[in-house]
Amino acid sequence: MDTWNLLLQGFATAGTPINLLWAFVGCVLGTAIGVLPGIGPAVTVAMLLPITAQVEPTASMIFFAGIYYGAMYGGSTTSILLNTPGETGTMVTALEGFKMAKNGRAGAALATSAIGSFVAGTIATVLVTLFAPVVATYAVKLGPPEYFMLMMIAFTTVSAVLGKSTLRGMTALFLGLAVGLVGLDQITGQVRYTAGVPEFLDGIEVVLVAVGLFAVGECLYTAMYEGRSTTELNRMNKVHMTREEWRRSWPAWLRGTALGFPFGTIPAGGTEIPTFLSYGIERKLSKHKHEFGTIGAIEGVAGPEAANNAAVTGTLVPLLTLGIPTSVTAAILLSALQNYGINAGPQLFQTSSSLVWALIASLYIGNVMLLVLNLPLVGLWVKLLKIPRPPLYAGILIFATVGVYGMRQSAFDLFLMFAIGLVGVVMRRFDFPTAPVIVGMILGPLAEAQMRNALSIGEGHWSVFVQRPMSAVLLAVVVAVLVLPRAMKLMRRSG
Amino acid sequence: MADITSSRRYQTLAGCGVLLIGAGLAAGALTIPSTAGYAGVGPNFLPWIVAIVLMVCGAMLVWEARSGGYREMEEPSGAAHGDWRAIAWVGAGILANAALITVIGFILSCTLCFMLAVRGLRASEGKPAGSVRQSALDFAIGFMIAAPAFWLFTKLLAINLPGLTSTGWL
Repeated sequence: MDTWNLLLQGFATAGTPINLLWAFVGCVLGTAIGVLPGIGPAVTVAMLLPITAQVEPTASMIFFAGIYYGAMYGGSTTSILLNTPGETGTMVTALEGFKMAKNGRAGAALATSAIGSFVAGTIATVLVTLFAPVVATYAVKLGPPEYFMLMMIAFTTVSAVLGKSTLRGMTALFLGLAVGLVGLDQITGQVRYTAGVPEFLDGIEVVLVAVGLFAVGECLYTAMYEGRSTTELNRMNKVHMTREEWRRSWPAWLRGTALGFPFGTIPAGGTEIPTFLSYGIERKLSKHKHEFGTIGAIEGVAGPEAANNAAVTGTLVPLLTLGIPTSVTAAILLSALQNYGINAGPQLFQTSSSLVWALIASLYIGNVMLLVLNLPLVGLWVKLLKIPRPPLYAGILIFATVGVYGMRQSAFDLFLMFAIGLVGVVMRRFDFPTAPVIVGMILGPLAEAQMRNALSIGEGHWSVFVQRPMSAVLLAVVVAVLVLPRAMKLMRRSG
Repeated sequence: MADITSSRRYQTLAGCGVLLIGAGLAAGALTIPSTAGYAGVGPNFLPWIVAIVLMVCGAMLVWEARSGGYREMEEPSGAAHGDWRAIAWVGAGILANAALITVIGFILSCTLCFMLAVRGLRASEGKPAGSVRQSALDFAIGFMIAAPAFWLFTKLLAINLPGLTSTGWL
């Protein structure tokens, strides 16, 4: 019953008017940026990182979590009405959702995605409440070799599993690691790759890279290539589900949740895999197979949406208990904690217990807020889709400036932001994944420190990674992740 | 077919870029001392790994580009050819902002950035851009975004952004 008491305390902290206000503003902002194309939760949280210098940690984490969550709700609105998914996790929603909307069932699609997100988000939050403390108590027993291997799993899944080409994924990951190298070495304090520029001594801020790659890169890419691309906006109608649609939705929500949550908790790189899996399963199980890809099947929206939200919530488990981010936004949340000098990891549940539980409690509250924001008020958000592209993207640049300049008050960073934006254009044009860059730059220095500590424990022998059973198992997982897909491909080819 | 050859040329260039970054990192790694201690690996270990892997990746990218293009490529979205004029306008906006933000203050500098960027973006859509009336309107919209953003972040959230005057309002 200890968990119960801690959770109640969390509700007491999250329920203060000021924290409720932060949660609300976060949810509103999150929904808005989820709806708006061209800007996602990761870059928004990144732009707002400078507030960590002023706002107390609990409030800002509640705020950021609201943005993270809200964007998932808002993203589905765009996928359904505009067919240009704002976030990777809502890509699948666009498949059936857009078809449904085209055939005059936009309201039902929006309803099933909002309610499904609520159901999945709430169930997943309950699971976080139950499991995260347990995971944390076990995680305390992990040493540097195990941590290093867990981070290796995160690296390999983010770069090799996601995206089509392992080569381009690896390139992106190592570019991120290279960025993470700049500055002072964590263990010896050795200066690396500063080229005599004093700004580089503190390292390169994640705000700069995230905003450069995502916001500036997106803006430049749009100017360069997307000028003539047009999008069509589906017509809205009443947000309502018939009894039949309810009956078809709820099993899909539950299946989606069951799929999404575990995928979020393991370092397997976020929401893409579970949403696609859920779509596949719903398509297979549905009694209305003819609706898939033609007039749009409601299960094809309900399942993936639930999987998406459950996975997003699930990513909090490794983030809070191990300090290992499995999505770009989680990586940026981790760096927000680092700004406060808080080390995310198993000790977090002891050292910052009130923060953690307030954050978890705020997820319950946030889900309710978002349901209200997205069901009756969805018409309001749809209006955002009518903003023409030029002022929207140019306006994003202003907020990019706030984030990047506000972090260190250095105009030098703004020049660097432009350069990173150009790299972002190249990466997007040639289909390099960008998530590994961010995960690499944030997790890289941590992984390096763990590796060197592990080797110190092993007195310089690499065998330390195989002598400890847990670490050996994790190493086997890394190898499996790298080798299995290739082996399967080869077998398919020969067989 | 001209498209495919030119896109392969750019792919080769991107691969060469990665190769160069790797080489640059290797050159930098030479200057980092290896104070290994108990671990047996020092602060120059990861730099070498990253440098070598990036050089290998770069070489493989070049090889892929030369032998039929990058593998398993998703067709990039948007037009086949870049609109260099549009990106020049947007780039000019960002660079002007970087150069002027400490001189003319956040609000005016960002308004200028907005005006230049919106002009480029509008030109990329083939819409008329750059008339006096339109520019005045862009100025007004940019100002209406930049000024409240400035006030919100400096007054309410106490983030340090440069002003033109020391009043805190402009």
